[in-house]
Amino acid sequence: MAENLKELWRFRDLLRQLIRRELKVRYKNSVLGFAWSIVPPLLQVFVYTFFIRSVSTGTMSAGAYMLCGVIPWTFMTTATLDASQSLLINFPIIKKVYLPREIIPLAIVISNLIHFILGWTVFFGVYLIVMPLIGKGGIHASIQWLWFPVITLVAVLFVTGVSLWSAALNVFYDDVKFIIQTSFNLLLLLLPVFIPADVIRYTAFVSHHTWVFTLYMLLPPAAIMEGYRKTLLQPIPRGSYNNPHLVPLYMNWPTFIGSSLICVFIFWSGLTYFNYRKWQFVERP
Amino acid sequence: MQKHINRVVPPNSAISVQDLTKHFILMHRGGSLKRELLGAVKKMRGGTSREEFTALNDVSFEVPHGQTVAVIGRNGSGKSTLLGIIARVYRPTHGVAILQGRTDEPARIAPLLALDAGFHPDLTGLENIEFYGSVLGMSSAYIKSRAKEIIEFAELEEKIDTQMRGWNDGAKLRLGFSIAVHTEPDILLVDEVLAVGDESFQNKCYRLIAEMQKQGKTILFVSHDLAVVERVASRIIWLNKGVIQMDGPTHEVMDAYRKASEVPAE
Repeated sequence: MAENLKELWRFRDLLRQLIRRELKVRYKNSVLGFAWSIVPPLLQVFVYTFFIRSVSTGTMSAGAYMLCGVIPWTFMTTATLDASQSLLINFPIIKKVYLPREIIPLAIVISNLIHFILGWTVFFGVYLIVMPLIGKGGIHASIQWLWFPVITLVAVLFVTGVSLWSAALNVFYDDVKFIIQTSFNLLLLLLPVFIPADVIRYTAFVSHHTWVFTLYMLLPPAAIMEGYRKTLLQPIPRGSYNNPHLVPLYMNWPTFIGSSLICVFIFWSGLTYFNYRKWQFVERP
Repeated sequence: MQKHINRVVPPNSAISVQDLTKHFILMHRGGSLKRELLGAVKKMRGGTSREEFTALNDVSFEVPHGQTVAVIGRNGSGKSTLLGIIARVYRPTHGVAILQGRTDEPARIAPLLALDAGFHPDLTGLENIEFYGSVLGMSSAYIKSRAKEIIEFAELEEKIDTQMRGWNDGAKLRLGFSIAVHTEPDILLVDEVLAVGDESFQNKCYRLIAEMQKQGKTILFVSHDLAVVERVASRIIWLNKGVIQMDGPTHEVMDAYRKASEVPAE
């Protein structure tokens, strides 16, 4: 680990170049160029804010609740998928020149993190400034918002760990990309991306087996998305989502801390596996 | 970092190769999870799914500072593997390859192996210079300060601000060569790339190499072109099937090599 950091520091200029290239190349042949980076989050926020109101109750639109799931979900999935391809795309360089190999998936994670932060910037801009201006319910800053960087750090650890795993595995097994894509489609339905975990908590089955919910909330993506929801937004009003039994849930710190430890483990194991494999990349049969 | 326990490097050595052995694992098809699982089953039944291949076998030599050494040998004799290990792309199975600068600073190496590898087609030549320079371990500030010379040497003043997508291979190779030699390396590793560009550019390359030799740089290069080898190198290492067949002054090794590979009809 210390060795990794030392090498990364030595190659910090390369890391910066890789991130810049990643950001530049994505929209290189488009007329708007880098402005495209701001378009998807803008569209995302506006669509969820102004078109989805069927489940909206109380003072806040359901859009804010959804975005707290959708923005992290986009970050996690695009970073993992991009990272899984990154070593193969840069194979010509890896095969010819020495560079700390972990720098390549890391640059992918950081460039996606920049888009992630842009997404949140648009989110806060809309809900703190635009919504109150047009007389709709915005959101209110609270002391709880101080947790935002902490949850983001957990998310970055998780995404980096998974990216290191997927990047290293994908060099040897072509199946990895398809496994990742398929599981994302499944997880999109299972995880609290569009609907808050509260809804799942008050389904008939989970109400009778609350330990299932505890396990569910230990899943890092669920913990991260719900972490943002519970610290940035007001509790969901009683009886929302057409469920009269729904009682608002609050941030559950013990499960969040448990999940954070899992994220630390995923990060550590990803780095260990990557280090174990990294000299074999160029020798892959 | 490689472990250098109990390894003594002569103080005037730029490249010290000691007991270098490299095995590669051969598999007959690319990997997939299914094949791996099948392979594991096969192994349990007592069969093997992989084969080993020895690319280098116990190779040792020293290159003192300022020497130009050519590595020759037939295809598959381990030349490129040797260069790959010295460039730290491959990790040796046994033994070490230690690089030493003239000062206490770590040696700067410039690998000239397939020069267009680091280029991205969607970036302009100038953007690619910055990127490739940092791949070779230079700071952005340094590479910016050398950009003009690099472009001039590669004779690419006109299209340097266009996307590389439209460039011909010759132009890309010239730029790659120019970037690598402008990194001010202590040790230059060259793999079959002196055949870059037209005759006038090649002559320029030779002049530059002569200049670097004068400056006391160490050069290790691999080539099939014996005329180039005779022209540039003062010493030849002849590899044959992963072992050193002969190591000595250019004319001696060249005579023996020519004799060994002579076709009876000639």
